Amino acid sequence: MPVGLPEFAENPENRCPVILLLDTSASMAGQPIQELNRGIGIFKEDLLKDTQASLSAEVSIVTFGPVKLLQDFVTVDYFTPSPLIADGVTPMGQAIEYALDLLETRKATYKENGIQYYRPWVFLITDGAPTDSWQRAAQRVREGESNGKFSFFAVAVEGADMNTLQQIAPPERPPVTLKGLDFSSLFVWLSTSMKRVSSGKIGEAVPLPPVGWGQINT
Amino acid sequence: MAWRAVVRSSVGTRHQKQQQPCQDYGKYCILNHQDVVVGAVADGAGSAKHADVGAKLAVETVITIFREIVRSPQPKEPLSRPLNGKEARKLFSKIVAEVISTLEEKAVQENYTIADLACTLLVFVATPDWLAAMQIGDGFMVVGLPGKEHQLLFQPDKGEFVNQTTFVTSAQALDEMQVNVVSGSQKFICASTDGLERVAIRMSDWTPFPPFFKPLEEYLWETPEPEQDDQYIQNFLASERLNARTDDDKTLLLCLYAPT
Repeated sequence: MPVGLPEFAENPENRCPVILLLDTSASMAGQPIQELNRGIGIFKEDLLKDTQASLSAEVSIVTFGPVKLLQDFVTVDYFTPSPLIADGVTPMGQAIEYALDLLETRKATYKENGIQYYRPWVFLITDGAPTDSWQRAAQRVREGESNGKFSFFAVAVEGADMNTLQQIAPPERPPVTLKGLDFSSLFVWLSTSMKRVSSGKIGEAVPLPPVGWGQINT
Repeated sequence: MAWRAVVRSSVGTRHQKQQQPCQDYGKYCILNHQDVVVGAVADGAGSAKHADVGAKLAVETVITIFREIVRSPQPKEPLSRPLNGKEARKLFSKIVAEVISTLEEKAVQENYTIADLACTLLVFVATPDWLAAMQIGDGFMVVGLPGKEHQLLFQPDKGEFVNQTTFVTSAQALDEMQVNVVSGSQKFICASTDGLERVAIRMSDWTPFPPFFKPLEEYLWETPEPEQDDQYIQNFLASERLNARTDDDKTLLLCLYAPT
């Protein structure tokens, strides 16, 4: 008999990148920003419970405005973003473009290192209306989504400009209105979805959990 | 000298938990007085309702076609002469077309859609002097030539994202089919589905990981009747160490040209 059983090649984990694109403009001050901070904490805790997801999911946070990279891509065990502070205006167009560029850079890093990855998620949460020009960002979102480059989710908190958000969000995935300030349920949903995606298999369309935390606006 | 071969599939822990059947299938046959070996493996798509049926039917169809080629009176000595790249592509295109029409018939019969039977497909035909192979979708085939490093025949066909691939039932299957002809006296062939990809192949540069393949090759050298004497392969596929690294279905089809 051979000396032993076959030995294994060491390959890096497949990655599942997600960008949280968060509106931290002045109108989010008070309870909304507190609930959002709490939601992010719950997101981390819940992802950490799943071994595969905590190895695969890579989370980054971009806040606006001003547009700022609050947390570069890290696996959840290294995910320690500083608390969000609500202040400033809503340069949503610039923020979206920044996030999409950040994603391209991350993909390039994966490719250079022979790391395979799942379709990235961009998760926009806003309670306002863009204070800058958003048309080009919307076009990039729609093109990227229809070419299957990423999945873009838009979540509207009470007070959001639904009309504009519907023009930014891809038609195949219309914006969702958050019920009240139930960020906890939203982030548990996001974490559950990440777990499903990161254990997904070849050619499998991953069924996402039902959106109990919001209302889908078609 | 003759070909000796063995094939085993094992259900992944994820499918076990979900009480799904093994959706991998593999088979081989040895023809022409032990000189030709034909092998095929398929991995049923996780998203396909009857992936296990599709994978099995695809593989069985391939094996049947080769048996018929050998049995047919024309040409006089089928597969006795090496195929060139063009001939190999022609042969495999014909085989894939037959596989697709068999799957279509099955779909009509059972009231399935063709997508319910989606699977990847890897096929090889080898003599002691040459080997022709094709691949649609992911999975891998590795050959060992004497005195050389193991060689990966095809880079697995993946989309940009890790969970995308092409299936035999995809509209572009024939365009995406990769074909390779290797001449030289290859001794060892390993065909497998993607369940073992991450442990057998170094993905940064797509090279076979020698400590994975060498023990398998040694096992075949030392085992004149691997179909009866399969404990080693069974132990490996069932090992906790392996299942900690992959929760997918796994298939190993191993061949060696060895002294009788």
